[in-house]
Amino acid sequence: MSGSPNSSWTIKVREKAVEALPPEKLLPDGQPTYVASWIYMFGVASIAALVVIIGSGSILALKGPAWWHYTGVGHFFNSIHLWAVELFFFVMVVHLWGKYWMSAWRGGRARVWMTGAVTFLVAVPTALTGYVSQQNFDAQWISTQAKDGLNSVGVGAFFNVTNFGQMYSYHVLLLPIAVVVLVSAHVLLVRRHGVVPPIELGARLDAAPAGDAPAATARAAGASS
Amino acid sequence: MVKSAVIGAVFNLSHPAHIVHWHFVKLPLANAIVIALMLVAFAVAIALPFPGAARRARARRQAGES
Repeated sequence: MSGSPNSSWTIKVREKAVEALPPEKLLPDGQPTYVASWIYMFGVASIAALVVIIGSGSILALKGPAWWHYTGVGHFFNSIHLWAVELFFFVMVVHLWGKYWMSAWRGGRARVWMTGAVTFLVAVPTALTGYVSQQNFDAQWISTQAKDGLNSVGVGAFFNVTNFGQMYSYHVLLLPIAVVVLVSAHVLLVRRHGVVPPIELGARLDAAPAGDAPAATARAAGASS
Repeated sequence: MVKSAVIGAVFNLSHPAHIVHWHFVKLPLANAIVIALMLVAFAVAIALPFPGAARRARARRQAGES
């Protein structure tokens, strides 16, 4: 029943995937020396915060508003969720600053930069829809203020921030899926292209002749500019 | 209940937000503090040596010389 091996789409997808991300690049056992710097830690810190956000958010969704408003454990997880979001944006902004000043789009990394920037833009409404999903007076106040602001810029016809059901769906399903997909693409692109090197190292590698063995090794480790 | 009341008393939130107003910049004090902390974290992340980075670089240099 199966077609010839060459025409099978599964084989084509597998070969393309392995060619783009061979196992040693997908799960490397080492990183270039320049990665040993605190400024390179903020990307993984963002992912760690995102894991806590999704974990605490899943528990909140499972237990419901009465639990997160009226029980001690509910308050605790509510706070974990809020402060994980605060931490997520804190470390993501420092990560963005670091990558901006490194010109992290160098060496064919434009898509890495773009997926990161779009993740930031999508994460903002993901967080803001959380404010209007609280089911309390704070949410009512914020949603009516947001409604006026959004209508003033002409986007109020596309969604309704005073519609709890719609905002809750955005907050717990649609936007988090978008963030996770974008973060996954971002990480896979980093794995494919390697962590961006310092500017001076990238320039030295560019200037190195094609037959230079150390430069070739560094490029293979993802240190191209 | 008592514990949450004590923790709540550390920062009195029962007042309008303190606003930082400087020329056209107008933002709550809490947001200004967070932005300042992000700038500090950015500077410290660049300036602070990473544990073991110097040792690894030295080992790599020695391996290259030998």
